[in-house]
Amino acid sequence: MATPAIEFHNVEKVYRRRFTGQEVTALSDVSFEVGRGEVCAFLGPNGAGKTTSISILMGFLYADSGNIRVLDYEPGDVRAKAQIGFMPENFAFYKYLTAEKLLRFHYLLGGGEPRESLNRIGDLLQQVKLTGYDQLKIGKYSRGMVQRLGLAQALLRDPQLLVLDEPTSGLDPAGRKEVRDLMFSLKAAGKTIFLSSHLLSEVEQICDRVIIIDKGKLLQSGRMEQLLGAGDRVEIVASDLPAEVEPRVADAGGTIERGPQGVRIVIATTQKRELAEQLWAAGCDVVSIIPLRSSLEDVYMKVVGGSASTKVAPSIPTAPGVSELPV
Amino acid sequence: MKIRTLAWSTFGSFFHNWLILILLMVCGAVVLLMLVPLMGMKAVTSAQNAAQMQTVVLNMVSGIMTFVSAFGSLVAAWAAADSVATEMTSGTILAVMARPVRRWEFLLGKYLGTMLLMSTFVVMMFALSWLLAWIGGERIQSTPWVLLAYPLVRYAIWAAVAMALVTLLRPILTMGIVFFLSLAAWRLGSADFDEIQRVAVRNLVRVAYWVLPSTNLLSESRFLEITHASLKQTGWLEHVTTLAYGLDYALVCLLLAMWSFHYRSLKRD
Repeated sequence: MATPAIEFHNVEKVYRRRFTGQEVTALSDVSFEVGRGEVCAFLGPNGAGKTTSISILMGFLYADSGNIRVLDYEPGDVRAKAQIGFMPENFAFYKYLTAEKLLRFHYLLGGGEPRESLNRIGDLLQQVKLTGYDQLKIGKYSRGMVQRLGLAQALLRDPQLLVLDEPTSGLDPAGRKEVRDLMFSLKAAGKTIFLSSHLLSEVEQICDRVIIIDKGKLLQSGRMEQLLGAGDRVEIVASDLPAEVEPRVADAGGTIERGPQGVRIVIATTQKRELAEQLWAAGCDVVSIIPLRSSLEDVYMKVVGGSASTKVAPSIPTAPGVSELPV
Repeated sequence: MKIRTLAWSTFGSFFHNWLILILLMVCGAVVLLMLVPLMGMKAVTSAQNAAQMQTVVLNMVSGIMTFVSAFGSLVAAWAAADSVATEMTSGTILAVMARPVRRWEFLLGKYLGTMLLMSTFVVMMFALSWLLAWIGGERIQSTPWVLLAYPLVRYAIWAAVAMALVTLLRPILTMGIVFFLSLAAWRLGSADFDEIQRVAVRNLVRVAYWVLPSTNLLSESRFLEITHASLKQTGWLEHVTTLAYGLDYALVCLLLAMWSFHYRSLKRD
C-alpha cells in the first residue's frame, strides 16, 4: 500500500521573539494525512497557521516537535523537493528577468538539462496563456500574469505533489476558471494537490479532502463528501400542507415555502418520518424527501465561526474540538 | 549544475542592483577625479623637476590603488550580504528553496556569484594599475598573478565574513560590523603589541589580532614596490602559505555561514 503523500503527526510550532522571549503558538498538536492522488483543501482564517504548516512541509521552517513526512521523505529533503511543485502566496520573482529566463533558471535548479528546457517552457507558457509575453520583463506583468507565471514554475518539472498557496488570488473570473480547469486535468493525471485557498466555492468543486485549522489547532479533517453530507436537515416537498400540521412544523423549527409545484418544507432530519406520516395521514401527497447537503461555506462557518478573525457574529456556536470524519 | 546556475544568476543580479552599481560608479568617479591631478602633475614635469614630480606621481598612483583595493573589500562584503538578504526580503528565496537545492548549495552559489563579481573587479583593477603605472611613466615588471590572487583572496574573506553575519543579522548591521572589523584588522596589522603597558589589554589585542583576518599580510603591496613597480623577491612557499591562510579564513567563515543558514527560518522578512 502506498504511503500518504503528506503525513503530519502531532506537529507543534512556537515562534519566539529573539530578545523579549515572547512566545506565539503557531501550531498545536496538528495531525493530518493527505493520500496520493488526492486534492486536499487546507482552509482556515488568516493567521490560522496555514502558511506555517506549508513552510514546515516545504522545509523552510523546522517544527518544534512532531513527525512530518512528505512523499516518504523528511521535509526539505532534495529527493522530496524534486517531486514537488510549490507556488507560494504572493509569488515573488526576479523583476529584471523575462518569463522565459525565470522559468529556465528554475528548470535548471530543478535538475533539468538546458537543451530540454526550451520545449517545456514553451508548452507551459502556452498552458498558462503567457505566450507572447515571454520576452517582457516580469516587473511589467500584472498581478494575474505573475500568478500564472507562478503556477507555470510550479508545474515546470512535472511534479507528483503540488503545494499551492492561494493560486487564484489576483486572477479575474476567467483566469480562475482556467486555473480550476488546469487543476481538474492535474487531478485526472493522478497528481496530489495540497491547496490553500479562501475561495470556498472553488475548493468545493475541486477537492476530495478538506482540512480546516484555526489558531494553530486542527478543527476538522475529512473527505469532502462526508463533510458536506453531514447535513442535519431534509427537504420535503408535498402537494399541500394542512392547517393542523403547519404549527407542528413551526414548533420543530422548520421552514415553509409555498410555490406552484407544491409546498417545500425544510426540517430537521430527526423530524422527517413523523412529518411525512402526518402529511400522508392528512391525505397529502409527499412528492420528495431529499437530505440537504451543506455547502463548504456552511461547514466552514460552522467550524471556524465564532473565531474573532472571521468576524462572524458571536451567536454562531464554536466547533467543539477536533472532529475527524471516517475516511 | 545547480550551484553554477545560482552563481551565474547571482552574478547577473548584481548588474540590476542599484546600490552595487552606485558603489562601482562612485569608485570609478573617485578614480577619475584622482586621475586629474595625476595627469596635471605629469604635464608640468620638466627635465629639472623630473625626479621630484615622478615621486609625487607614483605616490598618487599608490594612493589610488590603495583606495580601489579598500573599496573592493566593502563591495565584496556588501554584495555577499545583499545577495542573501535581498532573497529573504523579496521572498524569492521561497520559490528557489522549493527546488531540490540544499541550503549550503544555495549559500555556496551566492558566494561564488559574489566572487565572480569580485573577479571582474580585480581584473579591472589590474588593468587600472597597468594604466596608472603607464601614466606615471613606469612599467609594472612583475608576475600578474600576485595582483590578481591577493586582492581576490582578501575579498573572499570579507565576502565570507559578511555572509556569515547576514545569516544572523540585517544587512545594514552586517555592513557596520564588517566596516568596524576591517578597520580593526588594518589597525592591528601594524600595531606594536609590546608598546601596550597593561598585560590584560595586550593579551586582548593579541587575541583580536589572531581572530581578525590579517589583511595586511594579504596585501599585494607587501610584494610590490610601487615606486619601482616591481615585484620583491619572495619565495613560492611564502606565497602559498599566505594565500592558504586567507583561503582557510574565508572557508571557516563560509562554513560558519552555512551552519547558521541551515538552522535559520526561511521566510519573507
